[in-house]
Amino acid sequence: MDAFYASVDLLRYPELRGQPLVIGGSNAQQPVVLVDGSRCFSRLRDYVGRGVITTATYEARALGVASAMGIMKVARLAPEAILLPVDFAAYRHYSRLFKAAVARIVPAIEDRGIDEIYLDLSALAEDSRSLAQRIKEAVRQATGLSCSIAVAANKLLAKIGSDLDKPDGLTLLAADDLAQRIWPLPVRKINGIGPKASARLAELGIHAIRQLAHADTALLQRHFGRGYGVWLSEAAHGIDDRPLLTSAEPKSISRETTFERDLHVRDDRETLSGVLIALCRHVAEDLRRKSYRGRTIGVKLRFADFQTVTRDLTLAAATADAHDILRAARECLRRVPLERKLRLLGVRVSTLATRADEDDPSEPRQGELDLTKR
Amino acid sequence: MLLIKTRRDTLLAPLQAVSGIVERRHTLPILSNVLLEKKGDVLTFLATDIEIQITTSSTGAMGDGDGAITVGARKLQEILRSLPESAEVSLMLDDRRLQVKAGRSRFSLQTLPADDFPCMALSDAEITKFTVTQKQFRHLLTQTSYSMAAQDVRYYLNGLLLLVDDGTLRAVATDGHRLAYSSMPLDDVPEALRQEGAARKELIVPRKTVIELSRLLADNDEPLTIEMLPSQARFQFGQINLVSKLIDGRFPDYERVIPSSLRNVVSVNRALLLQSMVRAAILTNEKFRGVRLILSEGSLKIMAANAEQEEAQEEIEVDYSGEALDVGFNVAYLLDVLNNTPDETIEWGFNDANSSALLTIPGNDRFKYVVMPMRI
Repeated sequence: MDAFYASVDLLRYPELRGQPLVIGGSNAQQPVVLVDGSRCFSRLRDYVGRGVITTATYEARALGVASAMGIMKVARLAPEAILLPVDFAAYRHYSRLFKAAVARIVPAIEDRGIDEIYLDLSALAEDSRSLAQRIKEAVRQATGLSCSIAVAANKLLAKIGSDLDKPDGLTLLAADDLAQRIWPLPVRKINGIGPKASARLAELGIHAIRQLAHADTALLQRHFGRGYGVWLSEAAHGIDDRPLLTSAEPKSISRETTFERDLHVRDDRETLSGVLIALCRHVAEDLRRKSYRGRTIGVKLRFADFQTVTRDLTLAAATADAHDILRAARECLRRVPLERKLRLLGVRVSTLATRADEDDPSEPRQGELDLTKR
Repeated sequence: MLLIKTRRDTLLAPLQAVSGIVERRHTLPILSNVLLEKKGDVLTFLATDIEIQITTSSTGAMGDGDGAITVGARKLQEILRSLPESAEVSLMLDDRRLQVKAGRSRFSLQTLPADDFPCMALSDAEITKFTVTQKQFRHLLTQTSYSMAAQDVRYYLNGLLLLVDDGTLRAVATDGHRLAYSSMPLDDVPEALRQEGAARKELIVPRKTVIELSRLLADNDEPLTIEMLPSQARFQFGQINLVSKLIDGRFPDYERVIPSSLRNVVSVNRALLLQSMVRAAILTNEKFRGVRLILSEGSLKIMAANAEQEEAQEEIEVDYSGEALDVGFNVAYLLDVLNNTPDETIEWGFNDANSSALLTIPGNDRFKYVVMPMRI
């Protein structure tokens, strides 16, 4: 989907169309409705905090804004851009709409998150271009939003290709397009080469995918380890044989949050406690919505110095109850010395079971003592 | 600087006493160290995991100056243990390294400054203090500690309730499936607690502390002094001083759980029952560990079957003429109580196959074990 969060917000606030728009604020950036019925929006220049942007419209991207940048930093690039709070409920709604629309045309779908899917077109007789056109039209009718599609031999190339002609693009990549269309791109365009790997590749003088394709695999292995070295080389040659994962069962369900400022357990006890309760409630809601229960409850803490620790606890029985999760999370926290300030807190539930897996009446069941507090 | 020069065991014994609580993996590296502090001719050993702190000391330190340093507890302990028993060992502090010398062996260990060691702040709030023998308290722990929960979300169950009232010290542990209770009279009751209507003192000692105490207490009549404080418990015995944080929570009402009236009671020879149970346990389902107990006039049958359809059957003659009963239990819960009770006879009281059973010792109301059945 093209600039998904921002595009969803533009459906709601059509008057912002054509303006640079950035999503990533909190409730403080909620638009205010004025007496004349018009809306007053927050501008980036007024932002103070440490949030990160999730999406920018193409108008904002033209000013140098990219997703995952700090909002304060973005504000220097585009002080007049509009800042809107994230509204996951709305994005999830449109996400379901577009996936359902696509599923009516192509049954083999791999869900890659809120705004991205992989489709297997090989079982369909129809010509790829007209099929892709039909999918784009179905998405537009269902949501009013545009998407960019690439048709390629595998997931790796499809992912790179979908980026070549945004927004509202349609890219067909044939096998002999590799050298001409993929190789000139910077290595960062390969999904799986992040900022750290690309910086290290740059140190080796490798900037474009072409250079990576021509690099000696042994050299790459020396610098990046055996597995990743081989993968880098194969990816540069457009090789990827991962199958389509049509029914990905989640391994865990989690929520985490980075604080506006670093918090200390002693001085900010109430704030932290509130955050923890909210995280547990959200995880419990996620579990219930997806019809899962989990036995292992874990917490994740990131300290001000970015050191990250996790602790977890396995319960006797799976739960989707916010109180159970909170109790277990508190128990996990007791096992972490909390002298340093925290910048992030997360709660995760794993060892998931669907409801059908539980409560087998043919299995023995241990009786419980009636423990009540005095 | 020479800290001490002495026989291996003079160092190893106190080190082993304190280092049991040292965690292998911890976010604070210094917590894997032991603090060695020399004052005059006394060398003090101190280890902590932040929840528990154990101190002990040995005399015979040599050298002029006083000093303190922290060093990896496990490494030092392993070195000492691997030296010959008769070895004469010296510990020297030398330019931020600890030199261990014995015969022709030399070890140079890295250290961290003693000032960085997180010693627990000792609470000086109002104290309830009493003394028992090490043997008595150890017995109290043996009879109850196996019922403590481990890593339960009901965090207040991951420990042992200690309760002083009415001239009696009571210990209670439960994991929600079974509950063990044991009590002993206190000769040395604090005056404040003797008085009519005096508030009873209670606290929950964390599981790890209880296990450590069971390991360290001797089976003798030497004194153990217990101090109960608002957020700490202190245990002093021999050369050892153990301070533990407490579990901050409310323990369930254990008295409600102990059934007060039982329609049927049967007496069984404990050793016979234990042996039968051990044999039957071999063929229980590994995951659920259920055994069936079938009680009828004059006979107690114990039956087990595993997932592979293998079966065990045991039968014991009993003097019983009450209601017949067919009930399932987790065999581990029965083995625990039978293994940790020294008495010859055990009484098993029950109402029906769905409610809790009460195991007691005839003529002794100081011990009670309640266990819930398992539906097999």
